[in-house]
Amino acid sequence: MDAVTLIGFIVAGYAAFVTIAAALGVVLRAPRPKWLDQVAWMLEILAVVLAVGALAAWSAGRKPESLSTFLGYLGAMVCLMPLALQAMREDRSTWSSGVIAAAALATGVVAVRVMMVR
Amino acid sequence: MSTTSTAKTRSGPHLVLLAVYAIFALAAGARSLVQVFTRFDEAPIAYTLSVVAAATYVAGWFAIRRAANGSAGFAKIMLWIELAGVILVGALSLAVPSWFPDASVWSRFGSGYGFVPALLPILGLLWLWRGRPEGDRSADESVDSHRNLA
Repeated sequence: MDAVTLIGFIVAGYAAFVTIAAALGVVLRAPRPKWLDQVAWMLEILAVVLAVGALAAWSAGRKPESLSTFLGYLGAMVCLMPLALQAMREDRSTWSSGVIAAAALATGVVAVRVMMVR
Repeated sequence: MSTTSTAKTRSGPHLVLLAVYAIFALAAGARSLVQVFTRFDEAPIAYTLSVVAAATYVAGWFAIRRAANGSAGFAKIMLWIELAGVILVGALSLAVPSWFPDASVWSRFGSGYGFVPALLPILGLLWLWRGRPEGDRSADESVDSHRNLA
């Protein structure tokens, strides 16, 4: 298993953790805690690391099945969480945690897709 | 003060629906554009239906946003159209597989997306059916306060 695949598994696993944590906030009807933003930003950092690693592997000669799909997935993976956090910047309600859960789940799924098409 | 009232007006389960619709508009839109511009001849019907699905998600996003602000009419129409589209395309992909040499977004009722495309309009219709969003109530309260003033 190469380093990028390992990072991909870490991103997918951590995204699952963030999704469950955020979804629990909705189930418990709690306002969105500050630490949820911090773990969401941590996911973003991991996603950026994965994107940089995948781009490095591509520049080193690895050919993805479809370059446009590969780059599209990378862009989506990196942009999803910042957009969600920005959209919910002034909303600390229970349901804003649901938005973070949806963004984290989508980030994890896209990370898996990156692994499949790279 | 105005920021707080705006935040209150915008809160509710529709926020999650809006997020998922935005994600699907992006996913279906990007997928259909790549399919149409790189290999349209391989599966023209399936790829055209992917474009339709992407357009439906964009319209659905606007419809739910309007519903959250009190006008549910467009959302009711769009969500039923979306549900009918998922069921029709899903059934066609099983009944006439030759029309779908490659999958469209709604093929097999959205199995490629974990059946979320089939669940999404149902959840949206449940949200509309369960009651008016907070925004609607805020609007009513605003109208009531104007009536009291009058």
